[in-house]
Amino acid sequence: MSLLEIKNAHLKLDDKNILNGVSLSVNKGEVHAIMGPNGSGKSTLSYMLAGRDGYELEEGEILLDGISLSEMEADERARSGLFLAFQYPVELPGVGGMSFLREAVNSRRKFLGEKELDHLAFVKEARKEASKMYVKDEMLKRAVNVGFSGGEKKRFEILQMAMLKPTVSILDETDSGLDVDALKIVSDGVNAQRNNDNAIVVITHYQRLLDYIVPDFVHILSDGLIIKSGGPELALEVEKNGYSGLINAA
Amino acid sequence: MQHSIKDDYINSIKNYTNQFEVTNFRRIACNDFKNWPSPREETWRLSRLGSLSRKKIKPINPNLKKNNNNTTNLIGSTIIQFIDGAYREDLSSKLPSGVNLSVLSDSESLKYLQKIKKSNLSDHPSTNVSLSCTPSIMKLTVSKDIKVKDFLEIIYEGGEDSQSVHPVLYLELEENSSLFLIERFNHLTSLAMPLQLIELRNKASLNSIKIFNDHEKTYNLSANCVYLSKESYLNSFSLIKGGIFTRSETHAYLNGCNSKLNLNGVYISSDNQHHDLTTAIYHDVPDCTSKQIVRGVLGGKSTGVFQGKVRVAQDAQRTDGQQMSRAILLSDTASANAKPELEIYADDVICAHGATVGELDDDQLFYLNSRGVPMDKAREILIKAFLEDMINQSVDNSLHDFVFKEAELALSSIIPKETL
Ligand SMILES: Nc1ncnc2c1ncn2[C@@H]1O[C@H](COP(=O)(O)OP(=O)(O)OP(=O)(O)O)[C@@H](O)[C@H]1O
Ligand SMILES: [Mg+2]
Repeated sequence: MSLLEIKNAHLKLDDKNILNGVSLSVNKGEVHAIMGPNGSGKSTLSYMLAGRDGYELEEGEILLDGISLSEMEADERARSGLFLAFQYPVELPGVGGMSFLREAVNSRRKFLGEKELDHLAFVKEARKEASKMYVKDEMLKRAVNVGFSGGEKKRFEILQMAMLKPTVSILDETDSGLDVDALKIVSDGVNAQRNNDNAIVVITHYQRLLDYIVPDFVHILSDGLIIKSGGPELALEVEKNGYSGLINAA
Repeated sequence: MQHSIKDDYINSIKNYTNQFEVTNFRRIACNDFKNWPSPREETWRLSRLGSLSRKKIKPINPNLKKNNNNTTNLIGSTIIQFIDGAYREDLSSKLPSGVNLSVLSDSESLKYLQKIKKSNLSDHPSTNVSLSCTPSIMKLTVSKDIKVKDFLEIIYEGGEDSQSVHPVLYLELEENSSLFLIERFNHLTSLAMPLQLIELRNKASLNSIKIFNDHEKTYNLSANCVYLSKESYLNSFSLIKGGIFTRSETHAYLNGCNSKLNLNGVYISSDNQHHDLTTAIYHDVPDCTSKQIVRGVLGGKSTGVFQGKVRVAQDAQRTDGQQMSRAILLSDTASANAKPELEIYADDVICAHGATVGELDDDQLFYLNSRGVPMDKAREILIKAFLEDMINQSVDNSLHDFVFKEAELALSSIIPKETL
């Protein structure tokens, strides 16, 4: 059974068809990459999966580990093991990074039937993971994403992923805005979490990321439809020839 | 014959003040109280006193044997207690050296009246009624060069159903003195009309925190007149959470160069509460700074009002005046009004203002949800952050926790219980 199963997903925003029958199966241990032109519906797909209000399916179904997500709110999906790294992480003025992480982690732990971490144990754990992502302690004291640089925001997203240990992670353009070193840090952070029980879907415009996070499958999304799927070589083809050839052929 | 309750109130004040000479400050004040402000008056349009004027009320005759209710969790080490609007020495602490509390004589009271009458509070009902009926005007003085270390805490309690209370204070910080003052309004009365005149002499510095937490049936019409002299500093923060109707009106006159004013406030409103922060800041001389952050959180059928006037006189060059107000509505039936008003006659000034009324931000809620945080908890986190952020910016470090806890207590009635 697939860990994440998207079946014939249709979705409208403001009466405009955005997703037009997306189907995708992601198995345990796999990494999938989704590429596609601006506006093709990649972020919409990720919001739909995460359960954002207004992004309900018109038609189709999504299953996480065999369980339908359609009746679940965003928070319940997250606790069940779905994680979305935002293309544009949201600033939360006044909400301290450390307490935010703790709230998130304890929600997940409660769901998994694990004991909530006490303050000290949590801080220790957070600092350990943060240092791996080169996130300074000082940053955890600040309000979430407020005044963070583009790269810092993305590193903070992956830090959250590391702490939440999701079963399916969707990374929406986590590579955009990263310098060369940060790209390596973020990729290492993601790779460190790959295992045989989880799966990762990376949305990206650049082959460069896929040199670090090597995918098992690459899909091309165009106009809300996956028009082609293949192995890592498909990303190289996109890099070389752009999307137009692929779209015309479809 | 039509019986007017409003006239009853005016008559009871008249009857009381008639025993004094015509030149007595009480008689003068009483003559100036003709009626409750009408909604036709611009600053009372959004805060109407119609239902107050239909209540049968009388000014209280203070009971000097009444005990304090001992339920306030004190933060200050020096307590000044008012009950029924009257200062109670027997329930108050000994004051630190350099701090003095005294009763104004009739002639001093007349001067007090004249000072308030010079301000735009001259027609405020609390000015005229409280000066008519106060047990006495209490003057708190901090002597020159004295920096009071401990927090001074004034607690206002008492009152009765169908009665009004009238604590009147005169606070003078002499040159180069400083004070931390915390005031708690915990009346159990139909109407409270606290009146204050604050004078900060050159280089004086006052940190003031007011917590309005009167009984759920109380109307509180607090009126405050502040004069700031050269290089003086007032950092004022009000938390309005109690009463059925609480309006805190403050007029601050920046009369000395390089004086600095922070006039911040938070209101937390639920059920049928009406909360109003009305302020006017007058920049009359050059090089002064005023900063204002006002935030409101409203649930139930509550209503909130912020009216903030900033006037910069022609001579007040290089004025820096900032004003930001934001209200968050947590229910469809709550509403808030923000009315900034800038009158700028000088040309070399920096003045910024912004006012928003809205709901919690959907993107922020979704971000929290997407991390597994349930909706109720996410709302609670964002509301607390909204207030904490502001409290951290506007209250002295040493009092953050205290003020935030006081705010949190009020939030418990508008955020769903199961998440607290
Ligand atoms: N609320 C909305 N109403 C109507 N159309 C919308 C709405 N939100 C997004 N869209 C449109 O949906 C389409 C898909 O947007 P989406 O953000 O999913 O694209 P994307 O593939 O992530 O693009 P990019 O590569 O630029 O991030 C776009 O054409 C966008 O304008
Ligand atoms: Mg996108």
